[in-house]
Amino acid sequence: MTEEPAARRRRWQEADDLLLIYRETMGRPPRLGDAPGAALAVGPQRALYLAVDAGGRVTAFNGHVDLGTGIRTALAQIVAEELDVPLARVAMELGSTATAPDQGGTIASETIQIAAVPLRQAAATARRHLIEAASRRLNRGTGELVVAAGTVRVADEPDLAVAYGDLVRGGRTELTLDPEAPVKPVEDYAIVGQPVPRVDIPAKAVGAFTYVHDVRVPGMVHGRVVRPPVPGVETALGGLLLGVDEASVAHIPGLVGVVTLGDFVGVVAEREENAIEAARALRVTWRPGETLPDLNRPEAALRDNPATPRKLLDRGDVERALAHAEARLDRTYVWPYQMHGSIGPSCAVAAFRDGDLVVWSGTQNPHVLQSDLATLLDLPEERIAIERHEAAGCYGRNCADDVAADAALLARAVGRPVRVQLTREQEHAWEPKGAAQVMDVRGGLDAEGGPAAYDFETRYPSNGAPTLALILTGKVTATPATYPMGDRTAVPPYAFGNARVTVHDMPPIARASWMRGVSALPNTFAHESYIDELATAAGIDPIEYRLRYLPDPRAADLVRAVAERAAWVPHTRPGSHGGSGDVLYGRGFAYAVYVHGPFPGKAAAWAAWVADVAVNRVTGEVAVTRVVVGQDSGLMINPDGVRHQIHGNVIQSTSRVLKESVGFDATGVTSREWGSYPILAFPQVPEIDVLMVPRPHDPPLGAGESASVPSAAAITNALFDATGIRFRELPLTADAVRAALNPPRISGPEHPGGDSAPRRRRGFLAGLFGAGAGALALATTLLPWRPAYPSIERPDSAAYSAATIAQGRLVAAAGACLVCHAGPDGRSFAGGRGLETPFGTVYASNITPDVGAGIGAWSYPAFARAMREGVSRDGHHLYPAHPYPSFAGIAERDLQALYAYLMAQEPVARPAPETGLRFPFNLRPLMADWNALFLRPVATADPARGPDWNRGAYLVEVLGHCGACHSPRNALGAERRGEARLAGGFADGWEAPALTGLSRSPLPWTEDDLFAYLRKGRSARHGSAAGPMADVVASLAPLPDEDIRAMAVYLASLAGEAPAPRPTATATSRPAGSASLFQGACAACHEGGAGGDLVPLGLVTSVHSAHPDNLIQAVLNGVAAAAERFPNPDPGAPPAAMPAFRDTLTDRQVAEVVAYTRARYAPDAPAWTGLEAAVARVRGLRPHAGW
Amino acid sequence: MQDEGRPMAEDARPHDARLAPARHRLHVNGRGVSVEAAPGTRLLYVLRNDLALNGPKYGCGLGQCGSCTVLVDGRALRSCTIPLRAATGRRITTLEGLAEGGRLHPVQEAFIAENAAQCGYCLNGMIMTTVALLTANPDPSEAEIRDGLRANLCRCGTHVEILRAVRAAAARLRGRAQASAAAQASAA
Repeated sequence: MTEEPAARRRRWQEADDLLLIYRETMGRPPRLGDAPGAALAVGPQRALYLAVDAGGRVTAFNGHVDLGTGIRTALAQIVAEELDVPLARVAMELGSTATAPDQGGTIASETIQIAAVPLRQAAATARRHLIEAASRRLNRGTGELVVAAGTVRVADEPDLAVAYGDLVRGGRTELTLDPEAPVKPVEDYAIVGQPVPRVDIPAKAVGAFTYVHDVRVPGMVHGRVVRPPVPGVETALGGLLLGVDEASVAHIPGLVGVVTLGDFVGVVAEREENAIEAARALRVTWRPGETLPDLNRPEAALRDNPATPRKLLDRGDVERALAHAEARLDRTYVWPYQMHGSIGPSCAVAAFRDGDLVVWSGTQNPHVLQSDLATLLDLPEERIAIERHEAAGCYGRNCADDVAADAALLARAVGRPVRVQLTREQEHAWEPKGAAQVMDVRGGLDAEGGPAAYDFETRYPSNGAPTLALILTGKVTATPATYPMGDRTAVPPYAFGNARVTVHDMPPIARASWMRGVSALPNTFAHESYIDELATAAGIDPIEYRLRYLPDPRAADLVRAVAERAAWVPHTRPGSHGGSGDVLYGRGFAYAVYVHGPFPGKAAAWAAWVADVAVNRVTGEVAVTRVVVGQDSGLMINPDGVRHQIHGNVIQSTSRVLKESVGFDATGVTSREWGSYPILAFPQVPEIDVLMVPRPHDPPLGAGESASVPSAAAITNALFDATGIRFRELPLTADAVRAALNPPRISGPEHPGGDSAPRRRRGFLAGLFGAGAGALALATTLLPWRPAYPSIERPDSAAYSAATIAQGRLVAAAGACLVCHAGPDGRSFAGGRGLETPFGTVYASNITPDVGAGIGAWSYPAFARAMREGVSRDGHHLYPAHPYPSFAGIAERDLQALYAYLMAQEPVARPAPETGLRFPFNLRPLMADWNALFLRPVATADPARGPDWNRGAYLVEVLGHCGACHSPRNALGAERRGEARLAGGFADGWEAPALTGLSRSPLPWTEDDLFAYLRKGRSARHGSAAGPMADVVASLAPLPDEDIRAMAVYLASLAGEAPAPRPTATATSRPAGSASLFQGACAACHEGGAGGDLVPLGLVTSVHSAHPDNLIQAVLNGVAAAAERFPNPDPGAPPAAMPAFRDTLTDRQVAEVVAYTRARYAPDAPAWTGLEAAVARVRGLRPHAGW
Repeated sequence: MQDEGRPMAEDARPHDARLAPARHRLHVNGRGVSVEAAPGTRLLYVLRNDLALNGPKYGCGLGQCGSCTVLVDGRALRSCTIPLRAATGRRITTLEGLAEGGRLHPVQEAFIAENAAQCGYCLNGMIMTTVALLTANPDPSEAEIRDGLRANLCRCGTHVEILRAVRAAAARLRGRAQASAAAQASAA
């Protein structure tokens, strides 16, 4: 635990033995959205920048924070250099509002260029003071002194020396930063400019670093939030919450509270997993939000979005030049919505201490967050401290501020410190996206092949994304302001004589804010694609063409250096690198200087790319194989750090260009995990050759974003070289590239959802009444009512021997009674479980020996009649959800033992819900007709077979009533017999596969496979028991191995009874489903081994079935680990459970992933049709109990 | 996302049973520990909140990203998908448990030497996966390394440094194995 911020602040303010450098400024840095004059209105400010203590240790303070880019190390280098102390003696305190100066948000590559300047001056001020103090102490002139490693020496008398610490000790000196204090000449640099290992990595590599996610404070509890169902659309917020049913989480252990405030909903629990469960289980009703325009192809939505044009440049006469152009070339470029995609979902801890709030946060903008929280909570800013800790890399505004506000609201509501971490789904859905952008260029060539004019317009729908809790609680309006941030690098770097640049400032559509290369990356995609198009049209090499119009000599130097490093071969048309087989190769160039900050902005580092690509013309897959990237960053504080940033920018921007695009539906963001928002993985990482221009005498420039900026155009220009096709819309997915390379001859959308009518399923009673008047007409001739047995006193269980009760327990286990009759605790026989039927829900009854609610008043004959004939004690008919047709053959001895066992159970007085089927299915007397038709015992004995087989037949057919689920049912809902017996059925939303030769398992079920499956719930050659079957396996646990073996013997014998027809797939060239979704969402475990030894999907029965239901069930609801489900789990079974994707993937996405799994792992089987509808249907069913 | 109109008994039954805390014995980083939590609690939360082991990180809860990776009986698995009950009786190693006798694991040394992190949130998964990878395959090819790390996501783009660290770690481990083989040979 770290020291409290207030105590730390006091220590710096009051302690002795310190030299402190303060800086005085008028006002604070302006913030986006500030009212005019607001920044100055806060008056004079005095902030601590540097402290030297009596141990000679230096603490330096900076308002900007380390977002994972190594700024902490680089800033420490600057301080160590200027003060001449070893790097290890410098500690940086970044972004703590209690101690660090307000320097605005950590954005736009400004830290080294801007925020580090006063820090260097503070160090120089301190150094001058210390040397002067040493001069007095040593009685020598300052000119005679030298400093090394924090000790001032007399140059000619090295033994005469005094350490910084000794100069500081014994007093407290506060100085004001002097911007004129002499700084070191660059020639003398020994630390700055040298590659230095990052100071934070050793702790991170051993788990000893305290990220914000790792902050724990005494008494802390765990919170989770529930967001409105308009994922990532802030304009839809406001008045959406209709109600919260707190009773729905009453069962959560350690629940601390449910908090609602406007549209803000959160839960708090003592333990984190219980907070997660509470957030999942909390029943919340919302009003639907407004419908979004299509943002998957965002061009139309952006053009329709209200905008204010802002002209940045108007040079020459654009219209005249266009009118006289030799050849017109008008182009549109489209950038998709993209995600910051922090690997760690945002997290914060908030605690109130005597009314003061401390928030531990990973924010980019500690001081802005402080103001936001003051507004949210109606607290003065000085009573709020933000303690900034590192978080997962964010590359712009993610949900760090949102979650800090969530934690503060929950902490205030429950009066305890609360830690909140967002879920992956929430971070994906709600992080303010990198905005989509549309760039139009009107232009052309003049008679000499030069650019006639350049009329550039760009549309950028984004702003600062107000902290979500402010909107959810109604503190700020849901109609967000427009921020003019579309202008970054909007002015092209080329000397076009006639040029006009217009930015259409517009409010966000989806929630959006700045992301690495803010608007400059899309703008440069257009500039650098267009100049390439001009060069091709003019018949001139693209690099040579650029150099003709590039007035900046430093830029031209870089362009030439990169071209030379890459051994660029000038060419004037595509195809410069040829191809082999289906693979085409190409090479492209792009250049940019990243101009950031409010227009006209400041230039960060220059960067240029040569990208090599390989594209498969059949599949459309694009690989960036190699990137030569050059960067001119001026003086590099830490060259290793700069190189690292260049690598990171190249990889991340390649990922954005090739793969990344946020998916939307009409309600909002549908990309809510990594399968639907894939990012570049190790196998696709290009070889990267970095050229860093040495310019130690030029000022340092921001290097955190520049190398991203040329990426898109370099790659699309290379793709043009490879294919001759210009790609002006991103990302370059295989689907998009394949479509461009192979335009379809017959159009027509096709997706695995299909549109075939949903199949009708025959469940219990299906068709019984639907069969129509004919079946009903039979009813009159049969006895509709049966007499009641008189009620009895509850039998004394002492009347039965322990052996009889033990035998009854085995009968109950073999009959899996608890699978249906379990009570709320999962153990007793209190009933209440509902079985879904097409006619309504049939509830299992209470079969504990309670006289009122259960069967305590039932005599044995009444019990036996119910079991064998389906007639209740009072004479009413039971529905065949109770499998009395199977039990009709039950041995008398077993039935008596079962009765004894049930009567020995603890009575539970709670009645099970009444089964209330819809008319006419609620007419129980009709069951009499049904019984007359179908109630016949199954013949199970066969003297020709061995005792195992006969025992197995009895266990399977009678006690186990396997046919109740595994046999298809006829039109009246009765199990079919004969060849159809055990040929596959449905139960409780799950397919019960064929147990006969009709099985579609790719490998036959042997006796050993069946034994393993029934005994331990898993066959390594077929998969694991799941859904209701997992309950059955668990129920069978008390049976001895011999009984399980007998069942396996009998079931194995069935396999030979009917030949399995093998339907084969019709050939299709189109790959089914979504490979990328499968790769991102499933492959880590199912192909990469990260879940342990899973049964290969190619062997899993559900993948080969005629019906997709069980696979859909598994994807939606997950699969429990063997150890959770089975009393005797297979020790070879993996410890992992399959996560449920119900709240993560849409119906369409589940259909895509199921279709792909089928196509890939059951290639001989026909594709499933109507998948999207099937997913919707299965989603509507109650998830199976025990899941 | 909730289904409307279900009787309470239906919803409450499975959750009640699964949320009931129970005592579990675990074997973590070479020592036995006892924790009290519901059997379905994901191992990740037990490691972080009950045992204060911060190496494994929550990244997705879906087994996709690898931030929560731990070694289970020497295999790199995702602790966000492992129920507490399934973790009992297995040897669990976290990032904190890799060092031996006060000396960092060679994979940790290599990642530090190569500066193989930016924000470092994925670093736990990268190191743990590499340890398992190099145990199974001490001399992997470049393609095998990339394939072995394919399901570990890094957003900062630190792949170049990570690949370099894995190669360096493989060399360190092979060097150590050769040295100990040579020592044994000379002792014999």
